[in-house]
Amino acid sequence: MADDLRELWRFRYLLRMLVARELKVRYKNSVLGFAWSIVPPALSVVVLTFLMRGVLQRDMPNYSAYLLCGIIAWNFFSIAVLDSSQSLLVNYGVIKKIYMPREVIPIAIVISNFVHFLLGWAVYFVTFFGILPGAVRLHLLDHGGTPLLSSIVWFPLIVAAEFLLVLGCSLWSAALNMFYEDVKFILQTLFSLVYFVFPILVTADVIGYSGPMVQHPWLFKLYMLNPVTAMITGFRNCLLQPAPPEWFTDKLKGKPAIDVEWWIYLGAFAISVFVAWSGYAYFNSRKWKFVERS
Amino acid sequence: MGPSTEAGAAIEVCHLTKVFRIHHRGSLKQAASRFIKGLAKRDHVEAFTAADDLSFTVPHGQTVAVIGRNGSGKSTLLGLLARVYRPTAGTVRLSAADGGPARVAPLLELGAGFHHELTGLENIEFYGALLGMTAGQLRARTPEIIEFAELTGKIDTPLYGWNDGAKLRLGFSIAVHTDPHILLVDEVLAVGDEAFQNKCYRLIAELQARGRTILFVSHDLAVVQRVANRILWLEKGRIHMDGDITSVLAEYRAAST
Repeated sequence: MADDLRELWRFRYLLRMLVARELKVRYKNSVLGFAWSIVPPALSVVVLTFLMRGVLQRDMPNYSAYLLCGIIAWNFFSIAVLDSSQSLLVNYGVIKKIYMPREVIPIAIVISNFVHFLLGWAVYFVTFFGILPGAVRLHLLDHGGTPLLSSIVWFPLIVAAEFLLVLGCSLWSAALNMFYEDVKFILQTLFSLVYFVFPILVTADVIGYSGPMVQHPWLFKLYMLNPVTAMITGFRNCLLQPAPPEWFTDKLKGKPAIDVEWWIYLGAFAISVFVAWSGYAYFNSRKWKFVERS
Repeated sequence: MGPSTEAGAAIEVCHLTKVFRIHHRGSLKQAASRFIKGLAKRDHVEAFTAADDLSFTVPHGQTVAVIGRNGSGKSTLLGLLARVYRPTAGTVRLSAADGGPARVAPLLELGAGFHHELTGLENIEFYGALLGMTAGQLRARTPEIIEFAELTGKIDTPLYGWNDGAKLRLGFSIAVHTDPHILLVDEVLAVGDEAFQNKCYRLIAELQARGRTILFVSHDLAVVQRVANRILWLEKGRIHMDGDITSVLAEYRAAST
């Protein structure tokens, strides 16, 4: 692995060019350009917030902030992993002819999506931490932003953990898709389903209070050990005050938010590191076979 | 015993062997059914020896044509030299004239390595990076690349508006102007219309005069005769004949009629 990493380092300039190309191509011919990495999540936040508060009439101040934490984290994960699964086939004509450490291709996809991820957070901070002018803020969000908490110190660590997780999953999906093109379709189907299972629209607590999870508390711990779940919850807990579960349904009136034990976060972090390491190792063990398909 | 290794050879190939295992790329269903069948019958993997114990040395400045019938291992040899395949056995050593590591430029097929939404200039920068050039090294050569490819008017427009000829000219121009120590070409040595092809040949002659090494695969014996100093004739993954143009071509022509 040390040799592979050294080789990757030698090709850092090519990696940089690949990332630049990804970023340029993505919005090259659009008028709004980079705004397109911000507009779609912002629109879905507006619509979903309207659905919850306007249509279902739930009283949930700053719901959009909780929602956005989930959407930013989820979009980075799902888009990068799906794009990566296609990346080697898209560049097949090149890797068949020119030598390069082939992992630069999915890694470039991950880094370019990471840039969009960070942009998403920048918009989040501007919106909810009161950097926007007060009048605009009051108009957009009825409660005028959220207080800055000291737990924000954990934020960079969760960002790093998510980067590692996405990197690992992308390397896995890119390599596997070279041998089984079903991988892309499996991921697409899976991602559209887990969107509703992961705590994106609701908080993890609501799921923790659901029937089977109450009967079997270990099931909820398992659910929280899933790094994506842990990360979304981690982002919410470090940026926002706990959301009372009764926001989502009256049945949970008076129930407290569930505390996530530290070892669950640690476990999820360890899983992310493991996924990154194993993805890199697996990719390298298969990368010479990619062009030998017949 | 390896072949006699000349000091300062550009390409040293020593007992190079490549066995492909026929990998079935397909669906999970196929993989699952293969796995189940495999429990009963394990010896399913097909092996195909595309390069079989090849040994040869190419001195600096030589232009070698690789000929042979389809499936004789020409493209495999090129892929091994470009390091896109990992040898099953044997070694490849590529060196620059000063003994350092060689910069190898494989000439890509039409469109590979280009992005049609980027402009010609952006594509030059990216393609150059693929061939191991930094933006700084490339900048000095960019005007030459554009002028040679006859693209002065539209180099800052996106490639989707270009015709195939223009893309071919640009690809050729970049690969050759990065001044590689070793140029690897599969099939197309000269691109474009006749006038441009002649320009390509002149540029190749210039590379040859500068002591650069070229290895190209071709079925076009007229081109082989025009450009090469030496022919490597492959047959079923082995070197069938290795020598000067006249003698090998005479044998080859006799064999193919």
